[in-house]
Order: sequence, then C-alpha cells, then structure tokens
Amino acid sequence: MTSSSIPHDSAIKHVSGESVYIDDIQVNSQLLIGRVVYSPHAHAKIKSIDLSAAKKLKGVHAVLCSKDIPGINQMGPVVHDEVCLAADEVICVGQAILLIAAESNEIAIAAEKLIQIEYGQLEPILNLRTAIEKNSLLGPVRTMQRGDADAALKIAVHVLKGELETGAQEHWYLETQSCLCIPGEHQEITAYSSTQHPSETQAIISEVLGIAKNEVVVETRRMGGAFGGKETQGNWVAAWSALLCNATKRPVKIHLFRDDDQIMTGKRHPYLIRYEAGFDDEGKISAVKFEQNADGGCATDLSLAILERAMLHADSSYYIPNMHVTGKAYKTNLPSNTAFRGFGGPQGMAAMEAVVDRIARFLKKDAADIRKINFYGIDENNITHYGQTVELNRLHTIYDQLMISSEYRERRKAVNKFNSSNEFYKKGIALTPVKFGISFTTSFLNQAGALVNIYKDGTILVNHGGTEMGQGLNTKIMQIAAAELGINVSKIKVNAANTSKVPNTSATAASAGTDLNGMAVKNAVDILKTRIAEVMAAEFSKQRPEKPSLPENIIFENDYISDKLQPYHKIAFADAMPIVNFNQVSLSAAGFYRTPNIGWDKLTGWGKPFNYYSFGMCVSEVLVDTLTGFHKNLRTDILHDVGDSINPGIDIGQVEGGYIQGVGWCTTEEIKWNDKGQLLNHSPDTYKIPSVQDIPSDFRTTLLQNAPNPNAVRKSKAVAEPPLMLAFATWLAIKDAVSAVADHQHEPQFKLPATNEVILLSIEDLKKRMKG
Amino acid sequence: MQQTISFVLDGKVQTIDFNGQYTPTTTVLNYLRSSPVHKGVKEGCAEGDCGACTVVIGELDGENKIKYKAIDSCLVFLPMIHGSQLITVENLSQKKGDEETLHPVQEAMVSGNGSQCGYCTPGIVMSLFSLYKNENDPAKESIEDALTGNLCRCTGYKPIIEAAAKACVNKGFDKFTQCEKQIVELLLQIKNQSTPLEIINEKQKYYQPKTIKEALELRKKIPDSVLVNGATDVALRVTKKHERLEEIIDLSAVEELKKCIKTESFIEFGAGINLEDVKKLVEKELPALFETLVVFGSRQIRALATLGGNVGSGSPIGDTLPVLMAYNAEIKLQSSAGERKVNMNNYILGYRKTERRPDEIITSVIIPKPSSKTIVKFYKISKRKDLDISTVSAGFSLTLNNKTVESISLAYGGMAAVTKLALKAEQYLTGKFWDRNNVEKAMELVAAEFTPISDARSSAEFRSIAAKNLLLKFWTETKQ
Repeated sequence: MTSSSIPHDSAIKHVSGESVYIDDIQVNSQLLIGRVVYSPHAHAKIKSIDLSAAKKLKGVHAVLCSKDIPGINQMGPVVHDEVCLAADEVICVGQAILLIAAESNEIAIAAEKLIQIEYGQLEPILNLRTAIEKNSLLGPVRTMQRGDADAALKIAVHVLKGELETGAQEHWYLETQSCLCIPGEHQEITAYSSTQHPSETQAIISEVLGIAKNEVVVETRRMGGAFGGKETQGNWVAAWSALLCNATKRPVKIHLFRDDDQIMTGKRHPYLIRYEAGFDDEGKISAVKFEQNADGGCATDLSLAILERAMLHADSSYYIPNMHVTGKAYKTNLPSNTAFRGFGGPQGMAAMEAVVDRIARFLKKDAADIRKINFYGIDENNITHYGQTVELNRLHTIYDQLMISSEYRERRKAVNKFNSSNEFYKKGIALTPVKFGISFTTSFLNQAGALVNIYKDGTILVNHGGTEMGQGLNTKIMQIAAAELGINVSKIKVNAANTSKVPNTSATAASAGTDLNGMAVKNAVDILKTRIAEVMAAEFSKQRPEKPSLPENIIFENDYISDKLQPYHKIAFADAMPIVNFNQVSLSAAGFYRTPNIGWDKLTGWGKPFNYYSFGMCVSEVLVDTLTGFHKNLRTDILHDVGDSINPGIDIGQVEGGYIQGVGWCTTEEIKWNDKGQLLNHSPDTYKIPSVQDIPSDFRTTLLQNAPNPNAVRKSKAVAEPPLMLAFATWLAIKDAVSAVADHQHEPQFKLPATNEVILLSIEDLKKRMKG
Repeated sequence: MQQTISFVLDGKVQTIDFNGQYTPTTTVLNYLRSSPVHKGVKEGCAEGDCGACTVVIGELDGENKIKYKAIDSCLVFLPMIHGSQLITVENLSQKKGDEETLHPVQEAMVSGNGSQCGYCTPGIVMSLFSLYKNENDPAKESIEDALTGNLCRCTGYKPIIEAAAKACVNKGFDKFTQCEKQIVELLLQIKNQSTPLEIINEKQKYYQPKTIKEALELRKKIPDSVLVNGATDVALRVTKKHERLEEIIDLSAVEELKKCIKTESFIEFGAGINLEDVKKLVEKELPALFETLVVFGSRQIRALATLGGNVGSGSPIGDTLPVLMAYNAEIKLQSSAGERKVNMNNYILGYRKTERRPDEIITSVIIPKPSSKTIVKFYKISKRKDLDISTVSAGFSLTLNNKTVESISLAYGGMAAVTKLALKAEQYLTGKFWDRNNVEKAMELVAAEFTPISDARSSAEFRSIAAKNLLLKFWTETKQ
C-alpha cells in the first residue's frame, strides 16, 4: 500500500528549526556577501559608471560590471534576450547592473552608495494597454481554433462582448532568491541554489563563466517556497553569485532582501482578455472568440509557453463547438514576468468563467446550471479546441457530488433571502470547475532521471531530478520507492537534488514532479529488483538445490525478499544486500522516464499536449459589506481529483494551500507600478497575501474517491497547480454579492483581483446605473 | 551605569558587551542568526509583517513568575531584551540521551501536516508555543489572533489552526514549567545586578533609563535623540533604510510608564503599556479602543508597541489616533520643567509633527469614559482586514438627545497628511435629527472636506467613497 498520510519527510526538521536553507549553510570565515546594484529607471541609457570609490572601500573584494563577465552576458532561459548585467541600456526598474562582493552586508551597502551611474532617460512602456497600442510584441501571434467562431457568432441567439483584466501576482515565497557559490580547484564551482531547475542553473552559470558544464555542480536541498518564481529566475542570483565567486575565489552568498526581491523579480503575467461569446436561450454556448493579451515584461523568459497554456485553458471545462483563441505576449518596461503556479492557465480560465457568469446573469439563470450544460461530455462533445479528447472526464461526477455535499441549492435560496432583507450586507455564492492539463506543453521536457543507491546495510539513497519546495515531492518519492521495494519507508532517504548525480533534468514544474521523477525512480528500482532477483534466486537455489528458485518468482514484500511459490526461500532485505554485493552485482542504478503518447503541433495548435487532466470543483459563499468593500469567506467546499492519492495528508495540504493562494490573487494581492515604472507594493507592508484570518470560516476539502488514474505513477494524479483555480468560486461569489446590490439586473464592472476598492467602485457604479 | 546587557538563552546567562560584532541597534534576529546554533529563526521581511522571525520572550511579572510573549525579533534591538529570557525554536524539544522529544506544539504541527516548505514554520511554532503557555484550550478566534502575525504561503493555515487546537490542552505544562524556578533565579540575578544601561561606543549612544526622572534628564541633555519604547516603527529605519541611529533613549525599562489608573470617570494609561495589555484592559470599558486594537498589527507587534509610541509618531495612519480623538483623550507630556496635558484634538500639528517639545516625553494617555448617552466607534478599511495599515480609518463619537445630535466628532485617518476631523459634517449634523437623510447630506460634506491621495494602498476615489460610507455605517449601527 503506497497511500498513507505520513508526515512530510522534513516535518521534524521544520518544526525544530533544523532544516537548512541557503542562508543557513555554515560557511568558513572567507564568506563574502554579494549585493546587486539595480536600475532605478524603467528605460534609460547608461551614460557612465564610476566604480573607483566603491572599489577602494575597505572590505570590498569585487565590484563587477558587464565587461567583467568572462563568458557570455546572457541568462535568458529559452530566448537569449536577457543580459546578466545591463551594459549600455536598462529596460526595467530592478534590472541588475553591477555586483558587489564585500565582507559584510553593511560594507556592501556602503559601497553601493559610493557608485555613480549617469543615465539618459528613454521612453518606457509601463502598462499592457500602451504596449497593445504600440504593438510591442514579444513573439509571434498565436492562434488556436476549432469550427468557425465568426460564422457561429453571426447566427447565435445572443452575443456578449467584453473584456477582463487580471492582475499580476507576487510569488511571495518566504525564502527570497538565494544562492551560495563555493569555488573548487581550477575552474570548479559548486552552487547551493534555491532553484526549481538545477540543470538550467548549472547551464547559465557555465555560460556566464565561460566554462564547461562538467565544472559546475548545482545542489538544491530544499526551497522555502517557489511557486514558479524559482523556475527560471532562481538562475539570476546563482549567475551573479557565481560571477562574484569566480572573481574573488572565495565563497559568495546572495540572499535577496525582501524588497529587492519584490522589485527585481517577475510576477504572474497580467492579462487583458477580450471576448465575444454566442449562446442560446438555455445558455448553451455555441461560439467564443478570445483575444488574450499578456504583459510579458522586459524579456521573453517563459512568457510564450505561459501564453500557450493560457490559450490551451481558454475553454476552462466547457465544450465550445466553435472556438477561436488569439494569443499575444507584449514587451513592456517592467521586470520580466515569469512562471507562477498555473502558468497562464488561471488567466485563460478566469476569462471563460467570467463569460459563463455573465451569460447566467444575462439569462437570469443560476450560473451553476449554465456550467453544467456546457461541461465536456463523457462520450460526445469531449474534444477540446486543440483536438485532445477529454478522457476519464470526472466533471459530472464531481459536480453531482459537490452540489449535494455543499447544499448548493438550499444555500442559493438562503442567500437570495438574506439579500432581499439586508441593504448593506450582501451574500454571494458560486460554483466553479477546474480542468487542468498535466504535462509540459513543450513535449520534450516531459522526461526525468533518477539514481538509486542501495547500501550494504539495506538503506537506500534516492537521487532524482526533482526539487523539493514544500510540495512533499521527496516524501512521495520515498513512499513510491518503499512501495516498489517492499520495504519500510524509514529505510529510504531522498538526497538533495544534485546535477552531478542526476544530469540534464527538466524544471520541477507543471505539477509534474511526482509523475515524472516518481516514474524514473520506479524505473531505477525495477532495474535493481531484476538484478537482486537474479542473485537471490541463484542464492536460494544454491542453498536448497532440491528446490531451485527462479528470478521471475522473487518478490519484495514487508522488508523481505522471497520466492512467491516457495515461501521457505526467504531473506530479510537488509541481509540480502551484502550477498548481492559479494556476487559482484551493482546495487546502484540510474532510472529514466519519458511521458509516452503525447505530442502536438504547436504551429497548427492541434494534437495531444497533455498526458491527462486533473479535475476539481469548488463552491464558495461570501458576505460583502457594501459600505466598506470588505468580504468574509463564509464557507468553501472543495472536491478535488488527485487519482489514487499517494499521500492524502500532503495532497489536501496542496489543495487547500493552492486554493488560498488563488484566493489571494483573486482578492487582496494587488500590484501597482507608478508612472515611472517603480513598484509601489514592494514589501508585505503594502502587498497583502492571505493571513490566517482570510481563510473560509467553514473550510471543507475532500479528495475524490475511487478515481484511479491509469496514466501516472501508482495511479496517482498531479496536484500543485490545479487547485489554485478553485479560487474562482470565491471571486465570482464576491461578484454575485456585488450584483445583488442591483438585484442582479445589471452586469457589475469587475476585475481580478476583486480588492475592496474594486468592490466598492463597482457598487457605486451599480448604484448610479440603477438611478439612471 | 551599565555598559553590558545580560539575558538568558539556552538555559544560561549570556552577556554582550558591544565592543565586538554587535551594536546597540543590532536586532535580536541578527544576533541569533550570527550564531551557528540559532539558524532556525528566519528573516522573511525585516519589518514585522511576516512573523518568520518570531521568538518568545520570558519576562518576570510582579510575582516573579515568567510571562511568555511572542515577538518579532527583527524589530527588537538587543538592549531591549536585557533581563529577559530569550526562547528560540531550537529550545523547545527535549533531548534525553539519543531520543528527542518534540514539544506538544511541534508534535501537533508534524502529525497534522502543518508545514510544507518549512520556512515560516519556526516562527509559527514559536507563536503556538506562546499560545500554549498562555491559554488552555483556546477558542478558534484566539488561535487565529495568535497566528495573524505569521504569514504562510503554502498551507492555507487550516492544519496549523488544527495543530494549535490539538496541542494547547495541557494548561501550559511543559519542560519550561519544570525548570521555571532555575530560570527565575537567573533572571533575578540579572535584575539585582542591573543599573540603567548606558551603551556608548564611537558611533552610537544608547540609554535605557529606569525612571521618568532619569529619562527627562537625558532628554534635556540630548533632545535630538530618538525615543523608543517598543521600537516597532523606529526599527524599520535600521532594518529597511539602513540608517545608523546615533543617540537613542529607550523607555522600555521605565516601570512608572507601565501603570494604568482606572477611576469612575477616566482611565489613564501609562505611555509604556504595550498594546496587547491595553487591549486586555479596555474590552468592556472602551469597546471602540478594543476594536481598534483587535485589528492593530499582530500579537507580536502589540506585545512591543505602546500607546505612547503610536501617539508619539503622529503618523496620519496611526490607528489609535482617530479613536483617541473620538474619545476626547488627553496626552500627558512631561519635561524636567513640569507636566502638561494636551487634548488629542490639538495634539497633531502636521505630518508626523506633534505638540510634544523635544525635551518632553509622553507619560500617559488619559481617556475619559464616555457618558451613557455617548457612543464611540472605530472603523478601519484596509486591503486586508488584519495586519494591515489602514487605507482609511475613523473614530466617531455621537451623543444623542432624543434622536437629535447633541454632539458629534468625526475623526478620519488616511484622508489627509494628518488625522483630521470632518468639521463641516460635524457642524451640519449637530442639532439635527440623526436620520438617514441628514446623514446622507453630511456624507457629501465629508467627501468635500478632504482631498485624499492615491498611493500603493488605494486610489483617492476609493478613499473618498469609503470615508462617506463609514459615516453611513456608523448611522446604521447607532440609529434608534
């Protein structure tokens, strides 16, 4: 049995303060502190830089500019359009220009104050609407389509047009971007990095230093949160500390100060999505056209892949016979926006959910009913706008169960009753679905490696390509290895991710960490079991020649190795390992996995990008104070599909945590830049992620039972990203409450996030429209 | 005069002389993290907004028992823990031979999946430890209040709330109860040897007087010095702006400032009483002040911050200012020349400018108890309800005489460079019926009276609407 809610493998270390993060690593007294000098301007020419005074300051060991980079001045992960240090032009506030290594943080700060940089201002583009006007595209315009949306819209009974703005979101990982580099002999360098992608971090370090990849080791024990923010942008501090380490030949650590981290790094992409939807009197949708516009920031980073996933999720959970999606990513003079849990999916789905919500209000029907009639079908109407069949569709099962368990109908009535008798407080309720495609949409990335070592005492060290950022990947890996080897989980240790153990890995991203690495580990374990079975069958046969044992009958169970047909052939797992070793057979194996049967044509936007889909649904009820714009999350019910859960405790934690992170994006997490492109919300003082007081007063999370997934390790499913989008129920419940101010007769102006400002201004607007 | 500080850490008295790597404005967080055995405490924001740096301070109460409170170690200068016990996450578990027994709050966090990435966890564990020591079987509201100052980005908090409920049932009994006697002895030993601190090196002077008299003499000598008590505001100048504070007078050791006098007609709060204690003192008698403090910072912040500090800063978004104006409070100022009282409504002169002269200190805040005809209310609008700075706040006071407004005071924060009364609306309403029609007219006067700004927190338009609406809200809650 794999499924068990064993605690996180680091839980005891977490609660006793023993878990080591980058800033906690003990280093000798040679350690230098790295500091990044960044641009205060959104777009400017660098006219001159004077480093002379800073270099002379006692305790300063290096001040580096772009010219001091021995390799290439480049750290773009996909497209090489991102310089490591700005040379003659800065293109956003927060862009790195210079690096300082000093004996203390105080000295580094003092050195920065001695640096003179002269700028010549250039015209910046500071928001998406301006970028659209100026057609400042980052990449080619993409389209995906099925049917003929234009023709279908012409004959549709009703057509609604509109747009939705979704805001940026700061990752707010508790551990800011960090890296410690330690020089080795000759060109060697070891980077202890808080990165989701050690192999890419290794590659970027080798490129900026101009050395071979086999000189660079990147190790990641754990991250203090990442959420996509360390998929590519964890590379930055790694490259910078590597440059300083190389220049000084001393250990160098960069651990960004919170405000600097918020100012310098990218966020979730803001989107402006325009739509046109056709439907009939029942609310059955016949056609939708979406124009998705994404603010990519000043460089490409992952914007094009994120745009692609947004387009692939423009359908949310609905079968739309005629669909046309256009996607455009724009370049602005803001920090390059990057991966964030959901990776474009949330923005794409938010627009579709907003459309359905609006259709329901227009037709004066319950939005839950409109959703139901438009869900993908089981045997028909089950092909997406990019040609993939929605197999093992759980939408209907989940909907039916959740409508009952959440008492949706009764509560809808109670909400309406409350609203008719209260002027200043309004309640709202909403149900929203999640269907999320699992796989990297860049298909070759769907691969993983592992290295499993068994030692002679029967303990096991598992190395794999994934990184632990709190999601419980290592715990699940332990459980998978233990189940496959038939031994107690306490015998297994999962090592820090290390590029010298498992090379050429993909990022731990796309929710696929367990799917990919778990399978690679299983592959390694299978190889080892085959070897062990051969040795032990021979050994058993030698001991009792009259009862020969065959390798194919050897089983691994309950810490023993035995012959399933001849149970007297039995030995404790730990006792067998010295025998295998004595027989000159290796107890170390590399495993590998690639996701089979996926592939699609990016140019035509057609095929099977995903291995499978994850499903979930949420009903949320809120109370809005119409005079202050405050809302209270009264009750939230979630039913989520994780297949056969490997660890229900960890999975529920992912679901609840993902939902609350989504609620933050949908409600209080607002990001603003001023007219100079400076970030206004650069610390938790003004950037508000959910606190303990913001979770639902009544919070019920259930995992869908009896829903094994044939397409992933031990019939499980990915978790991680999909639950974030459960938060749309809360967002639209707020809108439902706002709409109640005008008795649902008018479509409220609404945005994402629905801050108390958005809520109050929307209510003011409704009041005016009611009067007018 | 004493140049060194002492406190108990890891069961031993630690003494710091400030001649080496530490300065008097080194924070407790940075001190701990400089040690190889106290890396559990984390910096998440260096401004008291995330709680990753939470540690617990044990202080002797009047009966020589230890009182435990969670604080944000990023906001506390080392001299402020002189004479206290400092408890970190590494201190909670108990080692017996090879066996390590987790503290009940740690155990509940492990078994209940209370940690994911683990970075916020040490701080959360310390907040739970403080709750464990102070409350048995706490209500959900109290658990949430104890955790408001700890941000977690992974879990969604539910398992942490459940861990708290599960663990806090042993009436606070743990290994700290068992060894309390020894710790008390160590703390008394420090206390008995201690004289007022005067830490002077070539760059900084830090004074920690023990009496008002000593404080005033220092103030006269160095009127430009920075006055701190909890330092929750001033510390940011060090942790975020990297300023070197050259001369500091720390009032946190002045016991006279921690007295509370209750009479029939007023309550006088010593300026040095921390806001968590003020909150406990006023729940029944001054409910509007209580409501203010419920949404003021977090427990960790309130354990340090003082009424004197909040008034003293004179910030336009200081949360207690509007409500003190509504209560018609008086600020007692003292200098070596004597003392005087200034009404709160005359106290604020401009942006962070107050009536206090450089040689004076705030010694107390006197709040008259409202008559039975008077209702005082506090409202705060912020992006997030808790642990947020107000976008708009309001302290309202209304005295009705047979449905007619006898007097009304409408103090607003966040609407101007200073906390300010909506005088025209007050004038309009005085003598009129307290009905919706009149209130709606007064709302327009409120809007016309202020020209708020747009900033990181909200737009000017939102502030104007919110300010108007708060008056309507006040009416809905007080109409007869």
